[in-house]
Amino acid sequence: MHDKGKITAYQMALMIYPTIYATAVLMVPEITGQYVGRDSWAAPILGSLNGFFTAYVLYKLHKMYPNESLIQYSKHIIGPFLSKILGLFYLFFFLYMCGFILKEYSFFIGISLLPKTPMIAIIGSVVIMASLAITGGVEILGRASQLFVPIFILPIPIFTIMLLKDLDPKNVLPILEHGLLPLLQGSAAPQAWFSEVFLISMFLPFLKDPEKGLKWSFISLFAVLLSLVSLNLLTTFLFGEMTASYTFPVFKAVRIISLSDFFEHLEAGIITIWILGAYIKITVFYYALVLGTAQWLNLSDFKPIVLPFGLLISLFAIWEFANLQEQFEFSKFIFPFYVPFMLTVLPTILLIIAKIRTRNTMKKEPPRISNY
Amino acid sequence: MKIFELIGISILVFLILLLEWRKLYPNQKKEKRLLVTLTAISLLLAILLLYFPEIPGPTQMISSLFFPLGKMLK
Repeated sequence: MHDKGKITAYQMALMIYPTIYATAVLMVPEITGQYVGRDSWAAPILGSLNGFFTAYVLYKLHKMYPNESLIQYSKHIIGPFLSKILGLFYLFFFLYMCGFILKEYSFFIGISLLPKTPMIAIIGSVVIMASLAITGGVEILGRASQLFVPIFILPIPIFTIMLLKDLDPKNVLPILEHGLLPLLQGSAAPQAWFSEVFLISMFLPFLKDPEKGLKWSFISLFAVLLSLVSLNLLTTFLFGEMTASYTFPVFKAVRIISLSDFFEHLEAGIITIWILGAYIKITVFYYALVLGTAQWLNLSDFKPIVLPFGLLISLFAIWEFANLQEQFEFSKFIFPFYVPFMLTVLPTILLIIAKIRTRNTMKKEPPRISNY
Repeated sequence: MKIFELIGISILVFLILLLEWRKLYPNQKKEKRLLVTLTAISLLLAILLLYFPEIPGPTQMISSLFFPLGKMLK
């Protein structure tokens, strides 16, 4: 064990919620809106099926190898050589995703809050904060999310109430005007975000109450589903077909809030709160990268490689995308295939192989029947 | 020539290496090797990005791998 900390299933659920939701709220309403228009509320429902499936597969794998993460138990399933290659793929994926999230974070903060700040300062500050939490281990992550995530969830109902007088529920009709195909295309992006529930694989071995792991991951997924559906409904009620033409439509919606000429320009507040969720998301992926590397190389401790990886993920963040448009195109066309391929397809294949292997060994050695 | 940026990056990388090196025990050989490799990769990548910021990266690699699937969504 590289990390002696223990967390509860509830804390894990609180970590997974922003891991999916924090960047989904930026990109998903716009991407789904471009395909399905006013039916964008239905796309996360279809997409969440993949999330529930991924959580189920990883929980099954976890039950077969309770004290190990995917990077460790793959060697029991496909042998030491192939598992090293698979581990390398996953580490590269985590490294890439860290850069991806940091870039998204820095674009969003840069556009909406700090337009004159150099990107490296925005990225560097959050990486330093995240590395501090990771050095503390998984318990600190659990406690940080317990502290931050309730504050992160709270604004959704509050802002919905503030926007009530501008909403027009008729915007959502007619339902499914162009048939099912656009809906399927529109659910491609949400299902990619939902498959990020894969990160439970890194946290399940640390649970005090592992039998509640699946239940709490499902609750977390359901909370994300509810938030995404309600936000998509909110933007559709507010903008109608126009939703897809805005960058970050949810924050555009917050900008519109005006209560008796007194509560205005609330976007600065909501961005500040959003940073809490984005911070948890960055920390979870960064932790998966650092812990995964330590497990992949059988290191005795992961703490010495936290800061060097922090430097590397900052460089990846600078390297990956030149502008927001490029990242948006990537999220629209490539991300919905790359992420589920790594996080859903490969674990499913592993589970099938593991099931076949255990069945074969069971046939060879029939279970001994004890006669009390 | 961007000489100041170069010096700044080198100092940062050197500081990280020094800071983490002091935490390691003498018998942690594997950790030391990984630490040096990681910081060396970071330093090289940082210098590369400093002089050629437009160099194709992992995004282009993944995009070319998954491009045939991406056409389904167009």
